[in-house]
Amino acid sequence: MELESIKKIYAGYSKVYDAIFKRFFYPRIKHAVHSMGIAPGDKILDVGVGTGLSLPLFPKYCKVTGIDLSSAMLKKARQKAKKLHLDHIELLEMDAMNLNFPDNTFDKVFISHVVSVVPDPYKVMSEVRRVCKKGGRIAIVNHFKSKNKVMAGMEKIFNPVSKKIGWRSDLCLDEFVKKAHLHVDKKYKLKKIDLWHVIFATNHK
Amino acid sequence: MSINKELLEILACPKCKGDIRLTKDGSGLICDTCKLIYPIKDDIPVMLIDEAIAVD
Repeated sequence: MELESIKKIYAGYSKVYDAIFKRFFYPRIKHAVHSMGIAPGDKILDVGVGTGLSLPLFPKYCKVTGIDLSSAMLKKARQKAKKLHLDHIELLEMDAMNLNFPDNTFDKVFISHVVSVVPDPYKVMSEVRRVCKKGGRIAIVNHFKSKNKVMAGMEKIFNPVSKKIGWRSDLCLDEFVKKAHLHVDKKYKLKKIDLWHVIFATNHK
Repeated sequence: MSINKELLEILACPKCKGDIRLTKDGSGLICDTCKLIYPIKDDIPVMLIDEAIAVD
């Protein structure tokens, strides 16, 4: 999918995103941020910060840089940050496949609901590994293709539809981990039947 | 929310990956090598090559 179409889709979402998606996404986002082991002074990169659902969760003793491709979504995130006096947050409009930071800038990277909406998830992950320090932690929340045959069949049917609304549902977790060169510490679902995985990896470089 | 100095120091030009600096009026970030200005809209720097403005 072209970046321009992604921007258009998310500009439309920005108005209703919090109302609709908060219910689905927030519990895993909250769990993942709280489980990242954020230490005082940590520099955190939030890739695909969107409307900033995650922002109030980051402790004030860390520094967070949030990036997103959608200016409409970022506007919402900025309003949230201002309203809640989140002075430890910086926001930038940036392409996740071309991160404009030097190597080894961040201690931890949070990347939620991004790898299935970008044109090249592996380019994103190679950029994430580059800007994250060696030994740094990478937390991913995302949907991956189900191993359950019935669910996988359903997803296959819906894949063309999901592509139109801005995400693909055919990304396979094991293949993703291998091709993204991730050293996974933990990967699990919050509930037994859940569409989303939570993954914690260490950046071995 | 004004742009943080520390962040400005680490930010690179999306095109050449070189240094960028704040424009005199503070309305954007300029790359002297590429002669491009990345505008700051609603306090948010737009670090996208497609949306950069060429400097005369």
